[in-house]
Amino acid sequence: MDNEAYTFALKNALNEIRNVCPDITNTFMFREDGEIIVGDENTSQKTMVHVVDAFDGIFEKADVIGGVECITIEGSNGKVNVSWLNDLYFVTVASRKADMNYVNTVTRVLIPTVLRLLEKICPTPLKSNLPLTKTKRQPKIPMVKELEKPEPVAEPVEETVMEEPKETVEAETKHEPLLSEPPVNQFIVESLGGLLVPSDTVRIDSEILSQWEELYEGRKIEEVEIGTFDGKTMRCKVKTIKDSKYELKGIMQIPEKIQLALEIRKGELVRAKPIVE
Amino acid sequence: MVKKKRDFQEVAAAAEPVSVEETISVNNLRANLDEIKTYDGVVGYILRNSTSAAIELKDPTKIIDYAIISSSALDAGEELSKLFDLGAVKDIVVEGKGVKVLSLIIGENRISIFLEKDADCEKILRKLH
Repeated sequence: MDNEAYTFALKNALNEIRNVCPDITNTFMFREDGEIIVGDENTSQKTMVHVVDAFDGIFEKADVIGGVECITIEGSNGKVNVSWLNDLYFVTVASRKADMNYVNTVTRVLIPTVLRLLEKICPTPLKSNLPLTKTKRQPKIPMVKELEKPEPVAEPVEETVMEEPKETVEAETKHEPLLSEPPVNQFIVESLGGLLVPSDTVRIDSEILSQWEELYEGRKIEEVEIGTFDGKTMRCKVKTIKDSKYELKGIMQIPEKIQLALEIRKGELVRAKPIVE
Repeated sequence: MVKKKRDFQEVAAAAEPVSVEETISVNNLRANLDEIKTYDGVVGYILRNSTSAAIELKDPTKIIDYAIISSSALDAGEELSKLFDLGAVKDIVVEGKGVKVLSLIIGENRISIFLEKDADCEKILRKLH
């Protein structure tokens, strides 16, 4: 049984779940690395990619809470549930009226059964039949390596949003190695003052600077872009915190001039990402 | 220098008048969260709005990671609410093997409460609503 048959079987199972529970509006499955496996006929590829992208930040920090087992979003008109089933994340979107106990009973019995059955019939590793579904949550390694791997051949898909012509990308990589997307960290603002303090430099933990530099293969990070939750951004120089009492607390020491420009105060949260040129 | 500082404070006050009701509601919220923090299994909380942020965590080394999870959960909630027309997001629960995160928006306040896996979310929701 090839991947296409796997996908077909799973897609049918998802459609059947919707038939059994009409209050379910969308279902689909994705792997831990963000690769989408299959969705029901009601859920477009674009929607699935959008959902996985939306959970990106949570999955990136999942280790802190011991890995994500379940996510529930409860709205006034409906709810979204993401459950960890047989090494896959299973997403269900249901209306407000849906009896979630019933929905969960059906999905938690049906999906593992189908997966086990498929595994028994032919123990092929479950892979997406649609290579275009890979989202941005990819391992942060130079993209050149990624491109060297042969991509699985697949039927053309309508939503070809992310696929670039391979040759063009390869040509670009010859000129300059591509850098991974800059990580964004959050910090608590702490004031930085003193006579000899430069007004254009912020200070953060040496550990975070080292992590960033490691990510960019040892390049020295000298500048960061700070963003506030009101949408203001500013680029400034960065150095490590000198005062040990502020170390390892997720603090960014910011001179008053920058605080005024960004309209932030001590105790507030800001986002920052390294600038590598 | 003193004059300059006073000028700035006056400008800030004129530009952003803070309503008394708003201040009271944030203070109430903060008081409720401080009480919730004493409940069994509660690890801490993050409260954030457009003008301030408060973080109370038993383990301060996890502040950044928890802040990112909190912000990501609330953003994901808003994003998916738009995508699937879920309406106003009541709450978001992210369950890990060790810790779960309950996030919700009250007014313009974005709140995340971090709990041990078996802690009771319902009691907290009742307290906050």
